Amino acid sequence: MKRKSFITTLALFATLPFVSCSKSESKGKLTIALLLKSKGNQYFVTCEKGARIAAAQINAELKVDGPINSDPAKQNEIVENWITDGVDVIVAACENKDSISTALRKARAAGIKVVTYDADAQPDARSFFVNQATAQGIGEQLIDTAATLTGSEGEFAIITGTLTSANLNEWIKHIKARHAAKYPNMKLVDIKPCDDQKDKAQQETTNLLSTYPDLKVIVSVTSPGVPGAAEAVKQAGKTGKVKVVGLGLPSENNAYVKEGVTQGVILWNVENLGYLAIMAGAAVAKGDLVAGATEFDGGKLGTMEVTGDQIILGKPVVFTRENIDQFKF
Amino acid sequence: MVLLLVIVLEVILFNSLGRRFLSGGNISNVFRHSVEIGLLALAMTPVILTGGIDLSVGSMMGLSAVLFGMMVNSFGVDPWLAGLAAIGFGALGGGLNALLITRLNLPPLIVTLGTFSLFRGLAEALTKGAESYSAFPKSFLALGNSDVAGLPAQIWVFLMVAAGIWLLVHRTTFGRSFRAIGYSAEGACYAGIPVARNTSLAYIIAGAVAGLAAVILVARLGEARANAGIGYELLAVTAVVLGGVSIFGGSGTVSGTLLGWVSLAMLNNGLTRISDYRIMDQTVASVARELSGLLTGLLLLAALAIGAWTKNLATRRARGQSHPENPPRSSPP
Repeated sequence: MKRKSFITTLALFATLPFVSCSKSESKGKLTIALLLKSKGNQYFVTCEKGARIAAAQINAELKVDGPINSDPAKQNEIVENWITDGVDVIVAACENKDSISTALRKARAAGIKVVTYDADAQPDARSFFVNQATAQGIGEQLIDTAATLTGSEGEFAIITGTLTSANLNEWIKHIKARHAAKYPNMKLVDIKPCDDQKDKAQQETTNLLSTYPDLKVIVSVTSPGVPGAAEAVKQAGKTGKVKVVGLGLPSENNAYVKEGVTQGVILWNVENLGYLAIMAGAAVAKGDLVAGATEFDGGKLGTMEVTGDQIILGKPVVFTRENIDQFKF
Repeated sequence: MVLLLVIVLEVILFNSLGRRFLSGGNISNVFRHSVEIGLLALAMTPVILTGGIDLSVGSMMGLSAVLFGMMVNSFGVDPWLAGLAAIGFGALGGGLNALLITRLNLPPLIVTLGTFSLFRGLAEALTKGAESYSAFPKSFLALGNSDVAGLPAQIWVFLMVAAGIWLLVHRTTFGRSFRAIGYSAEGACYAGIPVARNTSLAYIIAGAVAGLAAVILVARLGEARANAGIGYELLAVTAVVLGGVSIFGGSGTVSGTLLGWVSLAMLNNGLTRISDYRIMDQTVASVARELSGLLTGLLLLAALAIGAWTKNLATRRARGQSHPENPPRSSPP
């Protein structure tokens, strides 16, 4: 019995050489690997969609992969497997900045070009970062939208995540700067943290509505805050009287926007982010985009400006009742 | 034997479907990426042999990783010294498990379920959930990312631990007592085996090895974070059980655990290879990795079923031949 299985094992091993190498390699085509922060997340599914459009346009082979759980080692493993595969370019959105940089540096040492998008790695682990938006772009877009809705006058309040969050505070800083410079008739009455929870945002908004009866618009700089504020306004029966704008995903806000509770949801065009990341990766691989460059050809997005080692996607998009159904993330 | 066949089948399947599965680079990736789980599986083997289980090893990795990172980054401790300390912390954690299990006679499943939350919680509290440590010298990172004599550096550490555990379990009376305890703790006691002491040691070893796994993971990633080793404990248990170690204790081998581990590691890596496979010009990237859980489950259940079936067959044959009143409870493969 034992000997029989042993012989079977040997026989199976003997067939190995015949089954290997059954796949042909595609030669001459650029192979680009797109690393997602997490698979199945609508945001990254949308990035991938844009990436596929870019890859088809420049006739490149595209591999896409990303972790499906929260194991911090997974992104590194995916990158290391790509190094063995010998891809030409890795385009990465980084979950853990420092650990993924270890793997990306290895890739660069192996001659693979590395570009990051959405969330950056350490600067020495990539050549360019495709940045979805600047803090200034986000802050100004938020206050401009609020001003348009209220005729640039009246009281407004801000819902933030936590008072210690660095990027949110940066955006609020730009909101305040723009406010001071352009909208003297608007008045910022309060800034409330919601701990990035929808319920808390709803509760805080309810309080704001009773404390400031003349409130004209609520601006949420954090995505759970937008539907939270909208729900509070709706329940207070102030739909349309108090406007809601904020930074968030169109999908989370679709219903409120349709009902007219929320007037503007602001985010960068995620599909274009995936598209641009692939275009940048390809340009780096072809030598069209090198350190010190000031612009490069972003395909359907036109000529893109390069600032230092960053490429900015451009101004955020405002999703309104008219266009929100076109965006699935 | 079944597992060897599984491994061979995996090699054939992945090599024909995926790309470059058998290339030297990829084989070394297979092992580099799974050393930590392999270490936990090795550490778990003596524990399961005694009839216990240790669900806290993955969390222990998180805690050791954080303590290690803290020592090196915040207190300037030499990474190798800090590594030894991390192993020591692991042993302490294992000691806590052992104390609760042997002194208070609490069930291992419940005790380690508690420390599973406790250790991870401590790690998260120490880092406020967000802080991470990443300033490590190149010489230390080499442990996770370089090759020594053609093999990933950490494989050598793994082989040493494997040899150590094998010697302990199969070549010392001390180690053989693990199986005796698992078979019947009462019987072992009457046979003069210091049951509490020996059981404790199994948990302390498990903790220490988890500490070592944490250090190796940090060396590979270049970052120490509270979420290191999340979910690894169950993968380790899977490897051990797949390797034919009885979950009730009393029977099993270290080589079985190793085979179980290799078949899991290959499955995991092989599926990512298939992710290059194309059907009708559509890359099936998004399918293969998600299948990993499903296939791991199927593999485990199939291996258990086949194991039980062949054992039944053997028992029936033995009964038919001679001692019908005395069927063997289990036979080590």
